[in-house]
Amino acid sequence: MKRDNLYPILLILVIAGYLWIGISFASGQNRPDDAGGLCLVKHITGIPCPSCGSTRSVLALINGNIREAASLNPFGFIIALIMLVTPLWMAYDTLSKRKTLYDFYSRSEIFLRKPFVAVPLVTLIVINWLWNIYKGV
Amino acid sequence: MDSQKVDFFIISTSKYFESYHVPVIREKMLAMDESKWALIQTLQFKDPILILVVSLIAGPLGIDRFIIGDTGLGVGKLLTCGGLGIWAFVDWFLIMGATRQKNMEKLQQVIY
Repeated sequence: MKRDNLYPILLILVIAGYLWIGISFASGQNRPDDAGGLCLVKHITGIPCPSCGSTRSVLALINGNIREAASLNPFGFIIALIMLVTPLWMAYDTLSKRKTLYDFYSRSEIFLRKPFVAVPLVTLIVINWLWNIYKGV
Repeated sequence: MDSQKVDFFIISTSKYFESYHVPVIREKMLAMDESKWALIQTLQFKDPILILVVSLIAGPLGIDRFIIGDTGLGVGKLLTCGGLGIWAFVDWFLIMGATRQKNMEKLQQVIY
């Protein structure tokens, strides 16, 4: 990933994320009790994907229901953290003309590729996925 | 470097690179020292077609991005279920180019 590509991609993703959360929040759809959603994997195969339920998890976090957010999908915490931190970090980098976010991104890519990090994380994701299927999120 | 070797390399690996990369690779390799030939031969490139197949099957989980080395984007795709399917769909068209670009970056570390 080149530096010139990272910031626009992140900006698009964060804006899309906020729009999606905003639409879901305003329309009242996709609430914790609603089993709908846009996930293609779930609609085509009938099996929830590893991140199914994360929109509802983030909405539950906005409403302050931390336990509910965790039981829907723990990915919601990671997504909420990324969506809170990334815009601030990008603004800081832009204003101070530095590239601290890019350096962090590059270093974490290398870190995540190490087997002793990657294997436990993949295992966790698979367990979370199995839990998702079991819950029928 | 011997032009016969360079041409052999180009013929056997051209499918791993964008067409506009090939003349640059040829030029750089011809000007390169013979001692690097062994190093270049040990490089392993990702097949764009194979990555496209992975993307078609496991795109929403970001496996395609993980394999070509875009770990950060892979995590992004995994967390958002392929960007609600949209990103996964767009990546069906982008992933072959991205794979070739990654292969070029790998080769660049040796020939520059």
